[in-house]
Amino acid sequence: MNLFPLYLTVKVSITATIFTASAGLVLAWILAKKEFFGKTVLDVLIMQPLVIPPTVLGYYLLSAFGAGSPIGRFFEDVLGMQIVFTWKGAVLASLVSSLPLFVKPAKAAIEGVGNEIEDAARLLGKTEWYIIRTITLPLAWRGIAAGTVMAFARATGEFGATLMVAGNIPGRTQTLPIAIYDAVQSGDDYTANLLVGIITLFSFLVLYIAERFSKGRF
Amino acid sequence: MNFDLSLKKSFDGFHIDVNLSINEGLLVLFGPSGAGKTQILRMISGITRPDEGFVEIGNEKVFDSANNINIPVRDRRIGYLFQDYALFPHMTVYQNIAYGINHLERPLVQIKVDELIEVMRLSGLEKRYPHELSGGQKQRCALARTLAIEPRVLLLDEPFSALDFQVREKLRADLLRIHTLYPITTILVTHDLEEAFMLGKEIAVINNGHIEQSGPREEVFYRPKTRSVAKFIGTRNIFDGTVVDSDGSHVTILNQDIGKVKTFATEGTKLEKGQEVSFCIRPEEVLIIRPDRPLDDRVQYNIIEGEIVSITGKGSTQIMFLKTGSGDTLLKIELPNFVIRKLSLDKGRRIRVSLKKESLWVIP
Repeated sequence: MNLFPLYLTVKVSITATIFTASAGLVLAWILAKKEFFGKTVLDVLIMQPLVIPPTVLGYYLLSAFGAGSPIGRFFEDVLGMQIVFTWKGAVLASLVSSLPLFVKPAKAAIEGVGNEIEDAARLLGKTEWYIIRTITLPLAWRGIAAGTVMAFARATGEFGATLMVAGNIPGRTQTLPIAIYDAVQSGDDYTANLLVGIITLFSFLVLYIAERFSKGRF
Repeated sequence: MNFDLSLKKSFDGFHIDVNLSINEGLLVLFGPSGAGKTQILRMISGITRPDEGFVEIGNEKVFDSANNINIPVRDRRIGYLFQDYALFPHMTVYQNIAYGINHLERPLVQIKVDELIEVMRLSGLEKRYPHELSGGQKQRCALARTLAIEPRVLLLDEPFSALDFQVREKLRADLLRIHTLYPITTILVTHDLEEAFMLGKEIAVINNGHIEQSGPREEVFYRPKTRSVAKFIGTRNIFDGTVVDSDGSHVTILNQDIGKVKTFATEGTKLEKGQEVSFCIRPEEVLIIRPDRPLDDRVQYNIIEGEIVSITGKGSTQIMFLKTGSGDTLLKIELPNFVIRKLSLDKGRRIRVSLKKESLWVIP
């Protein structure tokens, strides 16, 4: 039995989650604490992957990062990195799909840290960065942790956008969900059942952990 | 430390426009909810930016719209005690107090925090978290945290409103004790009359975003300059009248229901015959005339007759309303319980009272 899809899924999900959490934290903080022109537009854009079909999202990413696009050419020429139809494409698809699932709880948690508490820290002479590190993040960590777990789960299960951006190349870009699709298509019930079992168990565990986190039982 | 400020700011349909100057000591900013008290503190501290004006501490302008000065909150060294204290819930009492000075060397932090813990009677609670403290302990912890940075001025926003009635009195005395130990120029905001009276040697009455009157406590409380100040400081008997006689030292005012009352003319104001004025008397200053005794000199002026329409208990005193004349003017009278008993005052009885010249106050 070929374990490559499992290995690739773990690798893609972890990489994507690292990017999602880093970019998502900045976005969540900005959305929670700053007022600026176009804030609602930014918010809506981040949330888009929750509502648009994954294939549409994948199509956007394919067009934006493909070899023919300026961004794609920048990655190719300057960074020597090809995105589409590589595992990095899978990371990109997972990152964008899982971003809203991270930003939503993280933003709520950061908003939940009252302005007054942060003002109190400012009045005590502290810089914004120091306040974020010592007040905001420690008080919002539950929401951030829950968001990270959710984003990771979403990244593991990502199918539609990944198929569009990374393709279905066995041994190179075939992640677990795509491998299941492949197995069912080719009538390999044994592999399909096994992989479905793994993913189901994993998803259950992840949601269970996220729930416990947000309720403060860890 | 001298402390001067002039602040203007417009919110939706609400304008704040205040000037204050404090030399030293404690100023009570007193006014009803929604008068703009908290907003003023926020502007002084820099949390909210005023539209116009300046804030000068000592000789340093921390904000000056004319010269584009706006020093960030963190560099102002202003102590601010929030209404619900805003303690850091994930830090212990010790960590909370040390937060503002934790860039200093450890032994020094230790000495300073220990001293504050001692003064604030928080010994033994160093390792507790805010949710494990009582209201009064939270307040003292927040105050200690603020004092640790040695602020140049201290702003206290309704410091007792989150506390039980029973402990307030003790904590007010506590605050005065702490203020003698750390004599920092302080503005205390409150809407509680009793609190304002007890804590403030200097009082500024604010209403609708404006300072209506400021000065020494006795002056503000017994010589209100406007009807609304009179109302806020608990003068409940405020009546309108027309000046019918004025001879420089005395003035006589006619009110339809009450009749003619004679009192001293307000210093520095010239009242003309025919001028419309208000006059007021605090409920506890109204004297009951005992029918069985001859009138003594003090009370022979301004005698009013009326019918008692209600008597309600208020702890050690009782509040009585007297209906005078034919209109619906009610005179509020506050009397100790024993007086009510002794004179067997009751609803429906007609009595005579005197509005002493010394107790009446005329508002032009």
